[in-house]
Amino acid sequence: MAIEILVPRLGWTMEEGVFVEWLKRDGETVRQGDLIFRLEGDKALTEVESMDDGILRIPPDAPQPGATVPVGALLGYLVAPGERAPFEPSLPVTPSPPLPTSSAPAAPTISPRALRVAKELGVDWAALRGSGRTGRIVEADVRKAAAQSTAQPPTARRVPVSPTRRVIAERMAAGLHVAAPVTLSSEVDATELVRLREQLKQDKKATVIPSYSDLLAKIAAHALLEHPALNARLEEDEIVTDSAVHMGIAVDTERGLLAPVVRDAQAKSLLQIAAETRALIERTRTGKATADELRGSTFTVSNLGMYEIDAFSPVINLPECAILGLGRIVAKQVVTLRPGSIDEIERVSVRRMMTLSLTFDHRLVDGAPAAAFLQRVKHLVEQPYLWLVT
Amino acid sequence: MTQTTGKPLTKERLLALYRTMLVIRRTEEQLARAHQAGLIHGACHTYVGEEAVATGVCANLRADDAVFSTHRGHGHALAKGVNPAALMAELFGRATGVSRGRGGSMHLFAPEVGLMGTSGIVGPCILQAAGAGYSFKLLNTDRVGVAFFGDGAANNGAFHEGLNMASIWKLPALFVCENNLYATEVPFSQSAGNPNVAERSAAYGMPGVLVDGNNVVKVYEAAREAVQRARSGGGPTLIECRTYRTRAHSEGMRDAGYRSADEVEAWKARDPLKLLAAQLPADDIAAVESEVKAQVDAAYDFARNSPYPDPATATTHVFSE
Amino acid sequence: MRELTYTAAAREALAAAMAKDPSIFVVGEGIGARGGNFNTTAGLYDLYGPMRLRDTPIAERGFIGLCAGAAMTGARPVVDFMFLDFILDAMGELINQVAKMQYMSDGRLKMPIVLRGSVGVGGSAATHHSGNYYSIFAHIPGFRVVLPSTPYDAKGLFNTALRGDDPVMFLEHKLLLNTKGPVPEDDYAIPFGQASVVREGGRDCRVTVVALAAMLRKTLDACDQLAKDGISVEVIDPRTVAPLDMDTILQSLHKTGRLLIVDETFAPCGIGAEIAAQAVDRALDDLDAPVKRLNGAHTPTPYSPPLEAAVIPNAATIEQAIRDLLAE
Repeated sequence: MAIEILVPRLGWTMEEGVFVEWLKRDGETVRQGDLIFRLEGDKALTEVESMDDGILRIPPDAPQPGATVPVGALLGYLVAPGERAPFEPSLPVTPSPPLPTSSAPAAPTISPRALRVAKELGVDWAALRGSGRTGRIVEADVRKAAAQSTAQPPTARRVPVSPTRRVIAERMAAGLHVAAPVTLSSEVDATELVRLREQLKQDKKATVIPSYSDLLAKIAAHALLEHPALNARLEEDEIVTDSAVHMGIAVDTERGLLAPVVRDAQAKSLLQIAAETRALIERTRTGKATADELRGSTFTVSNLGMYEIDAFSPVINLPECAILGLGRIVAKQVVTLRPGSIDEIERVSVRRMMTLSLTFDHRLVDGAPAAAFLQRVKHLVEQPYLWLVT
Repeated sequence: MTQTTGKPLTKERLLALYRTMLVIRRTEEQLARAHQAGLIHGACHTYVGEEAVATGVCANLRADDAVFSTHRGHGHALAKGVNPAALMAELFGRATGVSRGRGGSMHLFAPEVGLMGTSGIVGPCILQAAGAGYSFKLLNTDRVGVAFFGDGAANNGAFHEGLNMASIWKLPALFVCENNLYATEVPFSQSAGNPNVAERSAAYGMPGVLVDGNNVVKVYEAAREAVQRARSGGGPTLIECRTYRTRAHSEGMRDAGYRSADEVEAWKARDPLKLLAAQLPADDIAAVESEVKAQVDAAYDFARNSPYPDPATATTHVFSE
Repeated sequence: MRELTYTAAAREALAAAMAKDPSIFVVGEGIGARGGNFNTTAGLYDLYGPMRLRDTPIAERGFIGLCAGAAMTGARPVVDFMFLDFILDAMGELINQVAKMQYMSDGRLKMPIVLRGSVGVGGSAATHHSGNYYSIFAHIPGFRVVLPSTPYDAKGLFNTALRGDDPVMFLEHKLLLNTKGPVPEDDYAIPFGQASVVREGGRDCRVTVVALAAMLRKTLDACDQLAKDGISVEVIDPRTVAPLDMDTILQSLHKTGRLLIVDETFAPCGIGAEIAAQAVDRALDDLDAPVKRLNGAHTPTPYSPPLEAAVIPNAATIEQAIRDLLAE
């Protein structure tokens, strides 16, 4: 009995992916555990392993490399030796020998000169039709395309939506329209946090210097243990609250916004979190992160401080319940009043201030518990020893 | 055939001839040792036993006369005035070699003393010597072009074409055939319809002389007459010198099967150095011997201690600029 | 400007050089009183006599070897070999002696020798009088290989050949010998390794054609036809194949993106292959299409006119090759 090879669901929300290429050829023997094809799915490229033994048979009408395929689509079969694949005629046929090369159809070819000109003019040639004798894209094709695109308004450069972008688009839209987002902001005194970080910089034993994202990830994880309502997700009719905090760290990459996940952040030391996020971010930026490393977070922190953003409304990364946004840290004059006085100044001091923005899903949690959580975070930022000793 | 006559040579002249032959002999003996020691990187064809030919001919030449030589050319180079140190350094592949390490045994060049090149190809030297003769005649000089070549080359087309042109244009040239009886290992008697090379001169209308190539005085006298003829516009001469190499064709090569030990011993008994030494006082011979030994020892030290050429020079001088 | 034939232009250079330099002499069969099979030395014997205009025996190996010796010792020989096919007997002298002498002597010997004569297919000369073989010489280190295509170039390049100290193969296509063109009376020399852009393409020009010797005229004829359809072609004559002026070719390729080499002789291992390899090596990013070659057939040269015409490119096949390349 032939075993169907289907497009798997790679993440919680994946609906469709891009079939990239076969790693085995039609007629080739496959063992359980062999990697048989590549699929670009939920924010990552995955090599899919075979769950069974058999001989790979690819139907002539199977999806071609580059095709967008829905989860569950049929890609091919594994058959037993001598067994007929379902798509074959009933007459027995001798198995075809392995193809000498990949069964991928010829990608559009482009002359070296046309490629150079395409780079110079910023023309995306992948979608062009070549006018060369063999369909080769030549310089004239690229220049024609460039002339057409410059005839349009300057913002009209068109790039096909990548699978990654599509996932981001759907999630962000869902975060705003499916959820009931409410954003709370609070200005916090980060002076002690800055001091802590400066001290860590001086510490010769520290192997990494934690970023503010790392510090807030640690603080948020700590606060979430006390406020588990914010570490929750909606699954059909149930609110599921996780005991572990899997902290997503939003990262800007060439492919778009991605959020690598530090698992069990509540149980990890600050330096552990820092080391792990650094490695994860590097792997994410270079496209080496696996799908597993990019999914499963229960809460997310997002930092735009390096872009000199003071405050913003982060969008919830569904199905999570909340996301914490970090603004920049700036020096401000802070007035302290004399105790018991209404307007008598005891002192004016310079403090390092930061605005934290918490967006939460009002469907799962109300304003007061969310505000209490943010307040707890504020206290932990302002008095880091409170969580350092735990 | 022309008979050579003339006054007997002075003792000083004879000692000078002996000295040149000895320089060739001792240098090549040192080269044979160096070959065994791995100092020589390529081929090494010695001239041992044939020294009288180069010595007798070159003693009649000036530095501005042009000699074109063979793959067995150490003797011609030394007799024409190349320093043994520069010769050894060349075979050792050194920058101080006579060809700056480009040639080795078979490509020795010293135009400053009139050595226009030894050669790995049999025959072209005959044509080039004729060409030098053409040049010297065109430029109205009394210089002479000389080709040394073996019995093997006498069967090559270059011999025919070169001697014919030299004769019809009366070029100042000497064609010196060193007939050592074997082209590598093929006996000349088996490869020539008429194994008398000198007689072939008649076919081209030029004088031809057959001399005992182990008798340096006979060679000297024959060459003297030929050089005078050439300088005075009388045209070319073919001189056949019957001689014998007593070592193998090439160092490291087996030397058996194609010639008998008796034959080799018989020729060794007529060694050109022995023949001349017998006519000279023992004291003088001993003095020359020690002088030459010192010179060759110094040459060896010089060559061995010389630097290798800079690889950056490997592609220079392909063209004139 | 006055017009001269190709042969007369080269002879003018030779005559002027002989008048100035007594070390120059010419050898060849029938180049003395007869003035040369192609009138290459007409009138010179009366001026300079047999020592400088030397009729030789039919001994190509011999007189080339002789001239090598003469060049090593102060003279400046010119070998007038009539047909390049004839000096194949002298390949040993040419490659082992003439080409290598300067190098082997570490630059202490010079080799100022000019080897001149006819090459090329035409006039039912058949296979022992139609050789081109220039790629063989371009392959060997030590030769300058010159292929003039016009009377103007013939004089200027011959002057350079006579003034240098290197062996020069000065190869004159037999179909060009009696072609006429403007030739200045003054003394001028065209350096080796300087290609000529014979026909400059317009701004919209999308193809460069390199054409050698007799192929140049045919290529220009093809270009005239293409111009009627508004197709612009840039045409380059390398003039010397060793040294080869790749810079000029690549400059044009940078502009046009396509390269065709039209060469009368055999394709395998030929100069066209060398140009193509260098173009791919040095200018891959300028190529909008594969480099193409249009060569003569890889056969000996037949005699009968229709057979002879079938083994070499002509204006129509060149035109088609250009159209095909533009469609690539």
